[in-house]
Amino acid sequence: MAMTEERPEILELESGETTPTTGVFARPTNASGWRSWFFTVDHKKIGIMYGAVAMFWFLWAGIEALLIRLQLFTPDGNVLTADQYNQLFTMHGTTMVFLVIMPLAAAFANYMVPLQIGARDVAFPRLNALGLWLFIFGGIFLNLSWFLGGGPDGGWFAYAPNTGVTYSPGNGMDFYALGLQIVGIASLVGSMNLIVTIINMRAPGMSMLRMPVFTWMILVVQFLLLFALPVITVALVLLSFDRTFDSNFFNVAMGADPLLWQHLFWIFGHPEVYVLILPSFGIVSETLPVFSRKPLFGYSVIVISGAAIGFMGWGVWAHHMFVSGLGPVGVAAFSATTMFIAVPTGVKILNWIATMWGGNIRFTVPMMFSVSLVSMFTIGGLSGVMHAVAPADTQQTDTYFIVAHFHYVLFGGALMGLFAGMYYWWPKAFGYKLNDALGKWHFWLVLIGFNMTFGPMHILGLQGMARRHSRYGPEDGFDFWNAVVSIGAFVILIGMIIFAINIVRTWLGYKAGTVPQEGADPWDGRTLEWAIPSPAPEHNFDYVPVVTDLDDFWHKKYQTDETGKLRKVANGNDIAQKGDQHPHLPSASYWPIVLAAGFPLIALGLIYNLWLAGIGLLLMLGSMFGWSLEPATDPDAGHDGHGDHQDPDITDSDGSDNNTAEEAPVG
Amino acid sequence: MTATNTKLTEVTTNSMATNRPILHRAVRLSGLFVLITALTSCATGRIDPTDPIGENAKQIDGLMRLSGYLAAAVGVFVAIAVVIVIVKFRARPDDDPNDLPEQIHGNKKAELTWTIIPVILLVFLTVITIPAVFDLSGKGDGRTIKVEGQQWWWQFSYDIDEDGTPDIVTANDLVIPIGEEINLEILSNDVIHSFWIPQLNGKKDAVPGRVHHWRISSPVPGIFYGECTEFCGLSHANMQMRAVALEQDDYDAWVEDQMKASSVPTAASAKRGYDLFGRHCISCHVVNGVYESAANGNANLTSGYAPNLTHLMTRTSFAGSVFELYNDDGSLNIADLREWVRNAPARKPSRPDNRQGMVSFAEILNEADLDDIVTYLSTLGGPPPLMPS
Repeated sequence: MAMTEERPEILELESGETTPTTGVFARPTNASGWRSWFFTVDHKKIGIMYGAVAMFWFLWAGIEALLIRLQLFTPDGNVLTADQYNQLFTMHGTTMVFLVIMPLAAAFANYMVPLQIGARDVAFPRLNALGLWLFIFGGIFLNLSWFLGGGPDGGWFAYAPNTGVTYSPGNGMDFYALGLQIVGIASLVGSMNLIVTIINMRAPGMSMLRMPVFTWMILVVQFLLLFALPVITVALVLLSFDRTFDSNFFNVAMGADPLLWQHLFWIFGHPEVYVLILPSFGIVSETLPVFSRKPLFGYSVIVISGAAIGFMGWGVWAHHMFVSGLGPVGVAAFSATTMFIAVPTGVKILNWIATMWGGNIRFTVPMMFSVSLVSMFTIGGLSGVMHAVAPADTQQTDTYFIVAHFHYVLFGGALMGLFAGMYYWWPKAFGYKLNDALGKWHFWLVLIGFNMTFGPMHILGLQGMARRHSRYGPEDGFDFWNAVVSIGAFVILIGMIIFAINIVRTWLGYKAGTVPQEGADPWDGRTLEWAIPSPAPEHNFDYVPVVTDLDDFWHKKYQTDETGKLRKVANGNDIAQKGDQHPHLPSASYWPIVLAAGFPLIALGLIYNLWLAGIGLLLMLGSMFGWSLEPATDPDAGHDGHGDHQDPDITDSDGSDNNTAEEAPVG
Repeated sequence: MTATNTKLTEVTTNSMATNRPILHRAVRLSGLFVLITALTSCATGRIDPTDPIGENAKQIDGLMRLSGYLAAAVGVFVAIAVVIVIVKFRARPDDDPNDLPEQIHGNKKAELTWTIIPVILLVFLTVITIPAVFDLSGKGDGRTIKVEGQQWWWQFSYDIDEDGTPDIVTANDLVIPIGEEINLEILSNDVIHSFWIPQLNGKKDAVPGRVHHWRISSPVPGIFYGECTEFCGLSHANMQMRAVALEQDDYDAWVEDQMKASSVPTAASAKRGYDLFGRHCISCHVVNGVYESAANGNANLTSGYAPNLTHLMTRTSFAGSVFELYNDDGSLNIADLREWVRNAPARKPSRPDNRQGMVSFAEILNEADLDDIVTYLSTLGGPPPLMPS
């Protein structure tokens, strides 16, 4: 791609001459303390905060799940009231989808995509921060409902008209509708940012087909989000209007068809499934080759099948509605499309197995999680094909067979992949590996607990146990497997506690010096993030690398000798960049967090008092002005006193500010 | 019945279990042993999709098994591949770290093969699925029964003389004759529900503002259990129903009996109960032929709020089929019935203040009143044509 060669300086703002006085307020300058996190625009800090906050919600959604399992441990359980049960299963699903898996993927995307493409940050660093804070405030807002009269009680799918004021008189569904709008804006902002970043900011030589698969999958996901979120936005606006202003979008008495909601929800909801799973597909496409010491089998097929899933994902939504009255033509059509989305997915699975086949596999913890994704997701995929047989689905839908199916996809698939990613990239983000022994305990307990929890749900579903029932009777014959399922859930809990212990212990050990500092390339990696020190320095790359191959970094380490045999010619840690340069970076900003804070105020105002919404609106508009009038850069800001404005000589000598340095070979 | 259950479940568990890494196999094998033991010893529940009785349910069951076996076969294939990878290609401590495995970037033939084979399998599944979809979507050619879901019970209306107004309105127990494809017209009076009696057919949503046609049939007499399967609010878990399939003669006798209007009881206690019922209950509950009230006089035989109780005692259950109306020995389940009348919201989650469910009479009726009302209720027809076994 000739274009990439001519690309001007990447992410370097106009240097020195910029007048620092155009703005109303100065930029924040603290390089340490809480301010360095709250006002940061650094994609890595933002990524870490996405991850940390998502893990907090993971804990909370897990507690919700455990309460559900306590209630269902025995027939006629009385741990929860029916009302509490309905709120908990609604919020377990909503939290896991919007506040755990999506932001965990966003965490990796934020942290890793710029590193994988050789960029110094994302295209719009302040927008990136805005997305983070909208996600955080949206999550807090959504969960405020617990303290203000009870959580949403209409299911995460929120089928009309059960979610109207008539049937759900509390405020829970208002919090749902408005909270999802806020986190939806967060994802939308993030998607545009990452699309622009990936398309425009790749290092010279990194053509689209030299891009790491993780970045590829993130790109596909961002397009899915970009087109899917507007659909749910419309649906949620209609719901909010019905609830807040008595409109009639879902009022059957006024001629509405409640299936409108279902179509809108699932046109968003099914692409959303791929939003949840594709990042994990990307992660294992990175880990499997690294730990098998082989290149990815059929890189282009994996990339193309990922994109194909992204396209086909738009044509299958009504398979969620096989019993809702589509008529035989609609059912047959969506049955067929659903069958065939299994093809690109199946191809991926077999290509991953072929990647491992003939390899020299190191069973590290990230590899174990990756292999479990390949096998557990396959089970979820195969039961998915069973549902595509629409008549069979009329027996399976809304039973625990479906609950089993999508947990094999989303836990066995998405979460296993995300855990693989955590163990794999932990050294890059924090400078040290998580403990291997504890990691293996974590893995085995989660794998066994997961299968104990969700495996028997297939049987319960086939026995006819319906979803979303707050109780079952002793006469139903569901006792035994429900007990097994509930025990399994607590096995998962133990695994997760060990994971938490692992995080804390290795962190303390690292600070005490007993956990070793890792070099740039602890796993013998293949992609650019391993070509810079661990943890990644604030500016990522001393100089922007030039890419000549897929898996470029690996090819710098391994080359064929005169006999044609591949030999290791360099050690990754030795040839990696040193991270000792200090190029200019985008300055921190107050406005993303302030602007984001306006949204929950507006939402609360819509529920309780429009004056409050007015205050939120003013805050939002005010910070938009602040945002746009803020100085483009602040020459006095941080950068450890090495700002290139103060000392142009350093800039010139280290070459971080001119194009010739970019052409420098790695090492 | 148990044998067929075990068979299907075994297949499913196999497909689930065999994909795990090898170290998990021991756990799996012992788990499978426990599973089979448990399945053969545990009684299955009364809602049992794996034991199809009706024609439609049998057709679906065939498709489900076929797709299940196919999925299991593919699952076993993938599992074997994963296990081989784990065992054969794991790094050994004595491997030379400089010795790289052969660097294979792909193989067009292999990739084409494992694209085409799934396509063939899926084309096969699609080809057998689509005709079945159209097959199963046809209306029943037998009599029509109107099924209305509402929070949180099911109402069934029969238009015997086909004049457009219902002649029998009942609840919880859907009485049908055997050997006939009954044409159900499924509606909802509030939110979306789903009608599911798995041994007779798959499920069909009841969507407000729409009429969905669905058919059920049973070749044999019996009671078949079902439940609402679309989340419908607070008491979704307590919205069950059952189909009672009768021989043609028994069905005709049942119809004849149901067409009879009720009459004012003569015994003292029942008469007092009748009067109390008239004061407290008939704004929601219709009893045909007695009482002078708007709800009771209407041609539709229903108030729209609560079940018609004219022939309550001919049913086997009450309160959305959550409670049995009769004890195992065939006597009336007075204990539950009395507590239900006294304080329904305490027995079944509901929001009577929001017109969702029956109000509590705990503050209104005393013990003697409750006795009288239950005595009156016990005079409302009966016994059921078929008792749960």
